[in-house]
Amino acid sequence: MKWFKRGASEKPSTLEEMVKDLKQSIDFVSYENKESDQSYRLIYFASLIDPEQLHRDILPVIKECESKSLEDLKGILPIENIEIQSKLSLIQERLLEGHVAIQLSRGQKVLLVNISLRKSRDLSAPEIEFSVMGPKEGLVEDLHTNMNLIRRRIPHPRLRMKEITVGTVSKTKVVVAFIEGVASEQNINTVMQRLEDLDFDIISDSSFIGQMLEDNSFSVFPQMIDTERTDRITGHMNFGAFAILTEGSSNALIGPINFGQLLVSFEDYYLGWNIASFFRIVRMIAILASIIATPLYVAVLTYHYELFPSKLLATLISSRSDIPFSPVIEVFFLEVTIDLLREAGARMPTKVGQTLGIVGGIVIGTAAVEASLTSNILLILVALSALASFTTPVYRMTNTIRFLRYPLIGFAQFLGLIGVALFGLFILTHMIRLTSFGNPYLAPLYPPRIKDWYDSFFRLPYVMQKNRFQFFRGNQSTRFEDKKKKAKHSLDFDEQ
Amino acid sequence: MEQKRNDLLISPFLIMFIIHSNQVGVGILGFPRYIAAYTGNDAWIVVIITGIIFQVFIWMMYRVLSDGSFDIIDLHNKWFGKWIGSVFNLALMMYLLLGTIVILRTFIEVIQAWMFPELATWIPVAMYLLLTYYVLAGGFRTVAGICFFGVLIPMWLVFTATAPIKFSTFSNLLPIMDHSLKEIALGTRQMTLSFVGIDILLLAYPFLKNPKSSRIWAHMGVLLTTLIYTMVMVVSLAFYSEGQLQQSIWSTLIAWKVVELPFVERFEYIGITFWCFVVFPNICLTMWGASRVGKKVLHIKQKYFIFILITFVFIACVMVVNRDQVDYLNTLTSIIGTYVYYFYIPFIFLYSTIWRKVTRRI
Repeated sequence: MKWFKRGASEKPSTLEEMVKDLKQSIDFVSYENKESDQSYRLIYFASLIDPEQLHRDILPVIKECESKSLEDLKGILPIENIEIQSKLSLIQERLLEGHVAIQLSRGQKVLLVNISLRKSRDLSAPEIEFSVMGPKEGLVEDLHTNMNLIRRRIPHPRLRMKEITVGTVSKTKVVVAFIEGVASEQNINTVMQRLEDLDFDIISDSSFIGQMLEDNSFSVFPQMIDTERTDRITGHMNFGAFAILTEGSSNALIGPINFGQLLVSFEDYYLGWNIASFFRIVRMIAILASIIATPLYVAVLTYHYELFPSKLLATLISSRSDIPFSPVIEVFFLEVTIDLLREAGARMPTKVGQTLGIVGGIVIGTAAVEASLTSNILLILVALSALASFTTPVYRMTNTIRFLRYPLIGFAQFLGLIGVALFGLFILTHMIRLTSFGNPYLAPLYPPRIKDWYDSFFRLPYVMQKNRFQFFRGNQSTRFEDKKKKAKHSLDFDEQ
Repeated sequence: MEQKRNDLLISPFLIMFIIHSNQVGVGILGFPRYIAAYTGNDAWIVVIITGIIFQVFIWMMYRVLSDGSFDIIDLHNKWFGKWIGSVFNLALMMYLLLGTIVILRTFIEVIQAWMFPELATWIPVAMYLLLTYYVLAGGFRTVAGICFFGVLIPMWLVFTATAPIKFSTFSNLLPIMDHSLKEIALGTRQMTLSFVGIDILLLAYPFLKNPKSSRIWAHMGVLLTTLIYTMVMVVSLAFYSEGQLQQSIWSTLIAWKVVELPFVERFEYIGITFWCFVVFPNICLTMWGASRVGKKVLHIKQKYFIFILITFVFIACVMVVNRDQVDYLNTLTSIIGTYVYYFYIPFIFLYSTIWRKVTRRI
């Protein structure tokens, strides 16, 4: 623990020393009552405890207590989670968790009572992963509320929640939730092992853990899904994934995942299977187009203008004739502008952000074309590809897509279409090699698992989703039992 | 034989993609000319005959490999002892490397001829070889994945190959079978270059789950190749007149020019771009095979040996500077390939049959 240089060298050896050390903080209270026969002492952090509980449940009991021993007091106090402790490091740890320490006689022994104050905001609708249909229930920053939300959705004894504390300073509580039997043991062991090995000082958010748990931290592709939607979390747990909930974070992490799941909006499951499949395919095309649109513009206009039919070429040339830059500079200029707008919009308060969008989009766009800095065809391409990149349902994937086009533009300028293809091969190889908790990233496409395709690029009706994904390798392979088929209705057409 | 680890093996049906992707390379862009030089309008028959011969080779290879889970490197050592076996293995390695060099250099020749006339050879060579290293560092499963996508992604180009049919005269194919057996045999020998590549099976065999059940998929791989080649050949014969075909070096590419899309004029550019995906599995597979030999015979880790191979291939590719040399390289490979297939494979087939009988008797 290099973080506390001083603290590490001067470890308090007695309770008195510890109290003296902690007294340097204003919120630390060590209250001593020295009235004749009723001498006791309370030690706590005022900022962490619930004063009402202290006054209502603890103080009267201590006042009325005849006995002088901690054991007796432990029996009378109407609160759960009481322990008698004399180990100094543990006492300090508990104090910092919001316990109050009660001392009746001089000495190391204290009674620790948990009356920590839990404040969290109310539940609110998910803001990042918005959906038109489906439940509007998002996680909050409080771990207990989140656990409650999940447990209520899966009221099943096999839903396990394993707790582990990470962060040497922040002592963040992390809960790994999964359904036993559905999730494979191997995946759970892997994640628990990685969480145990995790060594860091302060864990501010679940995304810290996400980045440290990933198989390949050099990759730009997310290997876990960050989500605030409770339906998504429970849905993935039902597939066989686990969810990592973190104290103080309104995002859960889902893993293992495959690439296809990053392109799935959970709303797809609320729409009819045919409509949902259509939207999934649209989304995939949009993402591909978003990545390659501007690199293709650079490649074709720099090297392969013969590719266009003469009519289309004439339109292109007339729109570019006044522009003094090469296509690559033009494209970089506009792409960076879009990212600037996005970045500014993300940092601004919502209302200012809207204005910014109008100013940026309309004013800069039109002005740039009128000043003949860019061609209007490119403006259309860039706007469309920006729009397409925001169709991804997972926020981190959006960033990946926005990022990927820059090296691709570079390759397009360097080797034209061949450069684009070679970079495509590189990304392909990278994705074949990538794993999420040891599971292949491109599954079910490669390695080909055709049985998993019912819910991948498209989604079949629920009746046909009997088998669970092979991807997660759980023990329970089916989701429901076959029942006798009943005719929903019969027409004269069906009769013999 | 090293311990078999289940997570390093691949599904048996992927052998179809491996074999098919290692057979189809740059050759398909220009092979009709060479075959038609011998057999004229009967060239498509030659394609089918060669296809059937290669099905027989697949059968032979499976017979050779069917005892246990060995690759050809182990078998060479088993049959001929360590020293002579190593000579065989090193010859195999050189053959594979020659394959890499031919396909890479020929494809870059295509790029230089059609898209970037002034492109220095070393740039695409270096990029391809670096990518190859990245693939090989992911193990055989990654190589197989590249083969899988290398077949799937460009598969749609098959439909564009039918575009010239609108302008074709199929009476060009008549009369059928008016060439002598000798001409057909010469055409078959010429056709062998386009079909070589199934030799990778000799090395990939131990990496298959249930290798024996994979045979049907290997046959399917060759069948797919035969179908595609036959289609390309028939379209070329019908689209070009005989004299015209002899003057077109890259006849398939030229035929692509007639593909009409509302926003694309010269379709062959898109074809060549997608051909990057076709060529890459060839390079990966042959380099992988060569590095396996290095690992097992020279006992150098694949990790390091692949650097030596990459340097070697890089220098060799850069040293080939013009069209004539590329042509010479292709002819050389064609001759060596012919010997490998028509002499070496029947030889190991007979040898292993005899060996099996002799050892069983003892």
